[in-house]
Amino acid sequence: MSFSNAIYNTVFKRNSVFVGAIFVSAFAFGIGFDVGVTKFYDSWNKGKQWKDIRDKYVTAD
Amino acid sequence: MATFQAVKKVVTLSPTVRTLPSGIPFAPLLNTAARAPHDAHGHGAAGPRSDVAPRWVGGISLSSAGLVSKTSTTVSPSVNFQQRFISTSVARKDAPGVPDFSTYRTNPDSNRNLSYFMVGTLGVISASAAKSSVSEFLQSMAASADVLALAKVEVELSSIPEGKNVIIKWRGKPVFIRHRTAAEIEEARASNWQAFRDPQSDEERVKKPEWLVMLGVCTHLGCVPIGEAGDYGGWFCPCHGSHYDISGRARKGPAPLNLEIPQYEFSEVEEKLVIG
Repeated sequence: MSFSNAIYNTVFKRNSVFVGAIFVSAFAFGIGFDVGVTKFYDSWNKGKQWKDIRDKYVTAD
Repeated sequence: MATFQAVKKVVTLSPTVRTLPSGIPFAPLLNTAARAPHDAHGHGAAGPRSDVAPRWVGGISLSSAGLVSKTSTTVSPSVNFQQRFISTSVARKDAPGVPDFSTYRTNPDSNRNLSYFMVGTLGVISASAAKSSVSEFLQSMAASADVLALAKVEVELSSIPEGKNVIIKWRGKPVFIRHRTAAEIEEARASNWQAFRDPQSDEERVKKPEWLVMLGVCTHLGCVPIGEAGDYGGWFCPCHGSHYDISGRARKGPAPLNLEIPQYEFSEVEEKLVIG
């Protein structure tokens, strides 16, 4: 009860804090979503992308 | 005759032109307090009507002076008289017949937090969706990778001997690269550049003094100047006779500006020049 009250008093009570928290977490969510999707894509297509098979063809440089 | 008159008075009701202070129209022979009997519409009623006052409390009688209304009591004539009002009383909270529903009710505080959390989550998702659509749209206007790859040109500098010009094509335009000798550098730096038409020092125009890189387009009308020609040992535009010196600065003729310097940089220990 006191925990939920603390959350309410810190985040939800003032609309400015609420909107700011929304924007900050939207920023974090965007980055996290991007990273997660990229990781999943790379693991799903393991061994098929150029960066995985580059070592077989490019020896110099 | 008098009786007839009295009877006539009874039948011919006086018009209700006057209103009592209580708001009820004045009608002397109309009993507005009378109610329907509770005995199933009066069929098979036994005994006197409970809502009709007995004769001893008074009533209307006919006399020679007309109708006389006489009341002998001060109490309400009907025995079980109860006036009905529209009830405005509130229900009692501690009514003994109502069960206790408090265990079924949700916690208002945690409910409030959950509601705000849901609203905030929707805001987060829609804000990031809006941001990503805007940034994707802006990225769609940027140059693609193949265009960017064509926009750069690499030149091997070791293949250009000292005192020679090289003309390469970059973005559809000629680019002059001059490997200047020490005497040319000295000449370019010694000139009184403040008095030129487009005053610019040689240090501003080159990144390394031995390498002069310029766009080979005359600033007058866009011809391609000829190298190692002209009055100043630099470039000469054959179209209208503009002379450029060994630093590419306009010295004579109609050209208003010095030859333009593209964006370039030296890479990998001065072996390569990357223009663009």
